[in-house]
Amino acid sequence: MTSGKLFHTVAIILKALSLGYQFGFEIMEVTGLPSGTVYPALRRLERDGLVSSKWESEDLATKEQRPARRYYLLTRAGKTAEGTATQRYPLLSRLIPQKMVKT
Amino acid sequence: MTRRPERSHTHQSSQGKFDPARIDVFAQWLLPRAVQLVPRPRRADWQREWQAELWHFRNQSTHPASARSCLTATISLSYGLLADAAWLRSDQWKENARGSAASCLAALFLYCLLCILVERVYAGSWHSFGALIASHFLGGFIFIALPAIFAAFATYPLRPLRCDHRHSSNEGFLSTRTRWNLFLSVKILLTLALGFFATIAITAPVRLVIGPLTDWIELLLWAFAVTFGLRWALLNQERRCQRCLRILSQPTRVGVPSHNFLEWNGTELACSDGHGHLHVPEMQGSWCWYDRWVELDPSWAGLFSA
Repeated sequence: MTSGKLFHTVAIILKALSLGYQFGFEIMEVTGLPSGTVYPALRRLERDGLVSSKWESEDLATKEQRPARRYYLLTRAGKTAEGTATQRYPLLSRLIPQKMVKT
Repeated sequence: MTRRPERSHTHQSSQGKFDPARIDVFAQWLLPRAVQLVPRPRRADWQREWQAELWHFRNQSTHPASARSCLTATISLSYGLLADAAWLRSDQWKENARGSAASCLAALFLYCLLCILVERVYAGSWHSFGALIASHFLGGFIFIALPAIFAAFATYPLRPLRCDHRHSSNEGFLSTRTRWNLFLSVKILLTLALGFFATIAITAPVRLVIGPLTDWIELLLWAFAVTFGLRWALLNQERRCQRCLRILSQPTRVGVPSHNFLEWNGTELACSDGHGHLHVPEMQGSWCWYDRWVELDPSWAGLFSA
């Protein structure tokens, strides 16, 4: 995905991922974007190689008494795109706070 | 796994209040229906992910406590579920259509239709449109197209179909060879039709200004359209998988040009479904007049399915 195609919504999601928010619900909560935007965007980012996904360990989820989450992580290309997004939309850094605690 | 729901203290379930459990009931009803939209190989993963997300929505959501927000959240979540599933389905459709024979023919047909509609607007009625098409086709286009078709096939002999028939037996209604020839014929017909209709549509406004002199411009444009259209149709055919007719991809340089006498060098293209490779030599030799199609047996399928 070139910087020319970097839409605002995608930029917000990339920023959230770079700040440590890793799964759909968490990204929805911190960005305020609806599920109908976040999930298709994550699929598109994954298809374009900006994001990779992996399932959390079932043991850890059981220990915390919740279902296993599917975590999304920025790839190298995704980090580059996130850098471009931050340059283009500098206010993104103020919009989304750094993730402080492990959820 | 024993899971104890951890309901947030801010969300009390009461009449008229935000109740994530109610949303969850609806989403859990919708989930098995929406999953039918998801492509089969991804269904289990998708359902598992959404079940986890719904759990988090039910137990950790920080939405304001009101009946109105409950309804909004339900609608939003339902839309999200369906949008996500629909996106995966449409993405698969797009992926399947990319480079396929059907999408090629559909695109040519749609362009033809568009040109016909434009010309119909200029003609004013279907009757005058029909008369115009007939007079232009029999009065000019056919004299350009027939020699061009002959010249194209005479100067650019199409590579013979080189399937080794490992896959071709009992494959659908038509044999590989029939599908290959049928696709080529329809593509050439549509390409010529597009050249014909596009030229008429382009010159229609010019005709209003300079009248019958436009015929000369039309002849020139038809000559270009037919020559380049046929060339494109044949080259396009050369770059397709002989089994599924999909455009070959992933061009890879193989060998070193300076070692021309020692080993093969050129470009290899692969069918994305793993049906075979096309070897395009850097230099044509007496031993290799045509690009060489190497069919892969089904044991390679696993490598390409990912």
